[in-house]
Amino acid sequence: MTNAPIALQTSVAAAEPAAASPAKLTARDLNFFYGDFRALKDINLVVPEKRVTALIGPSGCGKSTLLRIFNKIYSIYPGQRAEGEILLDGQNLLDPKYPINRLRSKIGMVFQKPVPFPMSIYDNVAYGIGHYEKLKKAAMDERVEQALRQGALWDEVKDKLKQSALGLSGGQQQRLCIARAVALKPEVILFDEPTSALDPIATGKIEQLIAELKQQFTILIVTHNMQQAARCSDFTAFMYLGELVEHGVTQQIFTKPSKQQTEDYITGRFG
Amino acid sequence: MDSVLAERLYVRRRLLNATALVLSGAAALVGLFFLGWILFTTLSRGIDGMSLAMFTEMTPPPGAPIGVGGLLNAIVGSIVMCVLAVLMAAPIGIAAGTYLAEYANYRRIGTVIRFVNDILLSAPSIVLGLFVYVVLIGAPMQVSQAIRTTEAGQAGGWLAGLADWLQGISGFSAVAGAVALGFIVLPVVVRTTDEMLRLVPTQMREAALSLGIPQWKVTTHVLYRAALSGILTGVMLGLARISGETAPLLFTAFNNSFWNLDLGEPMANLPVTVYQFAMSPFDNWQQLAWAGAFLITCFVLTVSVLARTLLLRKKMAHD
Amino acid sequence: MATEHIVKSFDAELERINGEITRMGEMALGQIQAAVDVLQRRDSKAAERVTINDDAIDELERTVSNDVLRVLALRQPMARDLREVYAALRIAADIERIGDYASNVAKRSMVLNQSAPVAPARGLPALAELASELLAEALEAYRLRDADRAAAMRDRDAELDAAYTSLFRELLTYMAEDPKQITPCTHLLFMAKNIERIGDHATNIAENTWFLVHGEAMSGDREKADKTSE
Repeated sequence: MTNAPIALQTSVAAAEPAAASPAKLTARDLNFFYGDFRALKDINLVVPEKRVTALIGPSGCGKSTLLRIFNKIYSIYPGQRAEGEILLDGQNLLDPKYPINRLRSKIGMVFQKPVPFPMSIYDNVAYGIGHYEKLKKAAMDERVEQALRQGALWDEVKDKLKQSALGLSGGQQQRLCIARAVALKPEVILFDEPTSALDPIATGKIEQLIAELKQQFTILIVTHNMQQAARCSDFTAFMYLGELVEHGVTQQIFTKPSKQQTEDYITGRFG
Repeated sequence: MDSVLAERLYVRRRLLNATALVLSGAAALVGLFFLGWILFTTLSRGIDGMSLAMFTEMTPPPGAPIGVGGLLNAIVGSIVMCVLAVLMAAPIGIAAGTYLAEYANYRRIGTVIRFVNDILLSAPSIVLGLFVYVVLIGAPMQVSQAIRTTEAGQAGGWLAGLADWLQGISGFSAVAGAVALGFIVLPVVVRTTDEMLRLVPTQMREAALSLGIPQWKVTTHVLYRAALSGILTGVMLGLARISGETAPLLFTAFNNSFWNLDLGEPMANLPVTVYQFAMSPFDNWQQLAWAGAFLITCFVLTVSVLARTLLLRKKMAHD
Repeated sequence: MATEHIVKSFDAELERINGEITRMGEMALGQIQAAVDVLQRRDSKAAERVTINDDAIDELERTVSNDVLRVLALRQPMARDLREVYAALRIAADIERIGDYASNVAKRSMVLNQSAPVAPARGLPALAELASELLAEALEAYRLRDADRAAAMRDRDAELDAAYTSLFRELLTYMAEDPKQITPCTHLLFMAKNIERIGDHATNIAENTWFLVHGEAMSGDREKADKTSE
């Protein structure tokens, strides 16, 4: 009987997700500029389908910037532009000919601060749907219920759908925002630090929700909480100063990263 | 640092603090004192003249016995012109404020517009009144007369018709008064709408846009709803401001001793009535002037307090 | 370690665990030496000291376990830090076993000393010397976090195994020739086996060191030259 340690290999169970999942989003030679300042440098990233990919890195590394390119939300601000390609199922999103509202119906976003619209809970969810489809009341009711169930919020609000959404707690509001995003049946959901404004219990509920959602949607999440990335994601990408330093299976990144920079950041030696 | 020195410095600091407190408190008291005095005077003098007749009878001729007559035509006239002014200026102001907050927020043109708006906001109201006079009353008259002196004008046809029309619209009128008041309301509404819309968190805009909803829909359905009470407050503040303005009306709507609802003719209004009656040597008129002043003060106070309470609650909800 | 943690107390805690392991290693080496002393000089006082020291080693192992648990719970170590505490836990367990074996050798020496000396007993101190060398080498490789040195040490275990095998055969032969010597020889057999086990645990320490540095197991089976079971 020996006492040799069982190696933490990037073995069977962990490697399967990587092998089995095709690429949903591919960023190729992506550069991003705030005016003259080059915030992202030659990013090449593959986001696999129906998996959770986390973006981590210190403040100012460009992870939120990168996330916001995927649904082109940067386009409302003058002076911000992106160069390169982002392929969604083979089509380049950054092509000006790609219709923006089609893009946004396929790629949804959940923000750091829960921002429910100043409407009733029902209307919050129905508003987005109503923009794309003309549904009869019964059909709309069903869609709203389905979305709220997917957002793990239905049981808590089914009796007060007509009340203002602003009366919900922070965690509930965030789940409402998630329900609002999934109501449009997107293919990809982007999360920008979704739990940094929430308490630990609410955070746990959202993480559980993400674990359920990934069965249907591709998820890309930006977080400054490394432990959250370690808990939630299948793949992790580490960014620093606008560059993608390392990208791989989460277990590998957190037990045996290949770049010293990644190791220094993960172990809290960055300085 | 030894304790004696520390002690001395501490005492000196306390003394300085107390002096500053006393001086600033005294300054505040001085301001409040005069405000209190004005309110008290208005109240005491005005309340004597307040009666039901105030709201039911027209302005009396000079020299009539005290207690006869009221301010009905002036009150109604003021209401009509203020409402008209708000109806004209509010939509333009809200639209302009929206443009500033949504489309021009990060661009240079936004800074320029805001600057010009601030100038308009603090423009003397008499200047605005004079401007409206020249444009709506004086100039048409001059142009009309100029046309009539020409051969073509005298010959008849559409030029003569134009001259007639221009002459028709020139002259004191309620419309001109409303326009002048509108110029005062406009910058207030623009400023408040702009600020209230900017108070709406950027992430709400982005959240709505992320659903694929076009910008104009985001503005009208989501942002207006979020900023609604703030925008209404702006309109109310504008209303409060114009209900006491006299100078612009002097050149535009002037005044009318009789009942008149024709917008093309001079219309009675409270501020000018107060001005006229207060300057006169007649007792009954002076009595009515105080009552009118009291009315205006009450109205402005109520609307202002209401507006600020709404605004405060809105700001606190956001923090 | 390239740089320090931003939170300095983390470094302090890792240093502390490191220090505890170093202390354990020194004590274990001392134990082996003491066991040899007991055998060669028939010193029973030394034997008592060995027993007391063994308790101290056990106590240190518990301390290390405790400290590792605390670091895991409170610091959530990742990557290299995680491998550090993980390796420390395993190595502490190995050193504790080594201490036990050394203690057993000393106790058996006491028993052995009550009979007349036996010829093959001469081979034992040499065996123990070798084991001691191997342990010192493994501990040094750990101290320096030198994976290559650890790998080299692991290969040397074959030497110890070979020496053990030859001593084993010698003892068997001796027992076969003179049945009256069976009792002391059996004791010697156990003692030799214990010393060979010390060598095995030392190689465990080396393998843990390799894992700490590289994040994956040392490749290939080490050469087991222990041919006694063939």
